[in-house]
Amino acid sequence: MGHLAIRRLYAGISVLVLGFVLLPLVVIVWVSFFENRILSFPPTGYSLSWYVRAWEQEAFRNGFLTSVETALCAVAISLALGVPASLALVRYRFPGRDAIQTLLLAPMIVPGIVGGAALFIAFIELEVLLDMDVSGTLGGLLIAHGLIALPWTVRLVTAGLAGANRSCEEAAASLGAAPLLVFWRVTLPMIRPAIVAAALFSFVISFIDLEKSIFLVGPGRTTLQIALVSYLEWNLDSTVAAVAAVQILIIGTLLIVSDRYAKLARAF
Amino acid sequence: MSASTVKAPSDKVPLDLELPAPRARAGRRVSPAVGLAGPATLFVLLALVAPLALMFRYSLNRFVPGQLMVEALTLANYQKFFTDSFYQEVLGTTVWVSALSTALCLLAGFPVAYLLVRHTGPKWKPRLLILIILPLLMGNAVRTAAWMVILGDKGLFNASLQVLGLSPLKLMYTPTAVVIGLVSVMLPFMIVTLQSVIEGIDENLESAAASLGASHGVVLRRVVLPLALPGILAGTMLCFILSMNAYATPVLIGGPSFHMMAPTVYQQVAKAMNWPFGAALAFVLMAVTLVLTTTANVLVQRRYRRWSE
Repeated sequence: MGHLAIRRLYAGISVLVLGFVLLPLVVIVWVSFFENRILSFPPTGYSLSWYVRAWEQEAFRNGFLTSVETALCAVAISLALGVPASLALVRYRFPGRDAIQTLLLAPMIVPGIVGGAALFIAFIELEVLLDMDVSGTLGGLLIAHGLIALPWTVRLVTAGLAGANRSCEEAAASLGAAPLLVFWRVTLPMIRPAIVAAALFSFVISFIDLEKSIFLVGPGRTTLQIALVSYLEWNLDSTVAAVAAVQILIIGTLLIVSDRYAKLARAF
Repeated sequence: MSASTVKAPSDKVPLDLELPAPRARAGRRVSPAVGLAGPATLFVLLALVAPLALMFRYSLNRFVPGQLMVEALTLANYQKFFTDSFYQEVLGTTVWVSALSTALCLLAGFPVAYLLVRHTGPKWKPRLLILIILPLLMGNAVRTAAWMVILGDKGLFNASLQVLGLSPLKLMYTPTAVVIGLVSVMLPFMIVTLQSVIEGIDENLESAAASLGASHGVVLRRVVLPLALPGILAGTMLCFILSMNAYATPVLIGGPSFHMMAPTVYQQVAKAMNWPFGAALAFVLMAVTLVLTTTANVLVQRRYRRWSE
């Protein structure tokens, strides 16, 4: 085979693969504009009425609001815990450093369903012990979502810190700046891109989580992903497609913005 | 870096090296790292490690219907798993579906990763990478909904077949559909992992082999594949682990009579409230995944050593 032929073969396979990966997204957005009452191909016409109907569905509206609320809190938790921890991991040498790094990345490795089941059991035992509600409350959901966002923050911020020039911090310290001032005025500006990317990424990871949340949602407090899955168990129409299209738009925007700060491909 | 060996560490005052640094004078102070990493460490210990430990303890308890859980120290739950043919079958399905999906991901992902690294310009590569990663983060619920629309009995695929005058296929609620769904989730992971490894391979090695008369197939087999092996292993492990633990795809696309491990864990823990057995299932799932991935890793590495000799 000639050089050109090989290249064409690779290009051909790649186009097919890319099409396969993108097909679901394209189709679901397309379907969200269908006019048909019962989903069928080809469409009889196009309309925007499913978007109105999706917003009118209480499960989707409340789910969306809960998801946004939860994701914002998950961002706060993962940054508050993850940025100082990353600083310790990159800037200090201390016994057990490798173990702590592994531990902080562990929530990414433990399967979502297993971690979710363990948290669910622990929360119920805690409820019995303390005689108060934990599972099915926002607090329980926030702990779970903070946990899944944390490793991504640690990964992105440690990478950012490793790339930041340490001599600037040393120069500031040698000129008499207190450690907190050094962090605030020197380190933070240098790693701001990594922090922005970590925040956006944490938001997305929390927003799309399904496996952990499924154990922790209570009546009246359901995230959007759970609302989607429970709706899908009985129905399949363009309402779901409209919700999906909105979600694709939001997450797509966040990810493209985040890619400007830290290359997404490096987060994996 | 040579500069850092000359400079004093930043937590000492570098200007007056004659004097003992203030920290040293104060005796052995606790490192600031403890305060910085402590909260996060404690959080993961409390929200992940402790619940897992508790769940492991519960997997040794006994389940009595009506009483929920009775304190015990028994392996009965694990025994139940390994003697009940239903659960054997669930594990079997999970393993073969995962292995098949992973193999397909590798076959389809490698050409894309290779093209991205070797034949894509600096302007297009990042854009294509984003296009590949975006679907990954759209959420399993959305992606699964889309596959239901495509693969359903009156879905896009069957409607297209009808236009072509072909008879419709039953895809929804079949293992085939589950594999299709899983591959579409995991392909981006595979491509991203592979491309980062292929990027580290010196292109001159390939040119050298080719200039000595090796065909592209030989270059791939003798040069690229051995060098990309760590990445191939990493990508394969990742995909296999992900599909072993898949939840949304088997539940929604596989249908009510298709069983994989993760949905079964959920069913036992949250619906049947049989915590001891659900916990045992979760640990069997993790253990089997670990054993299979490590064995594969060792086998491939051994083979690779023989290769390079």
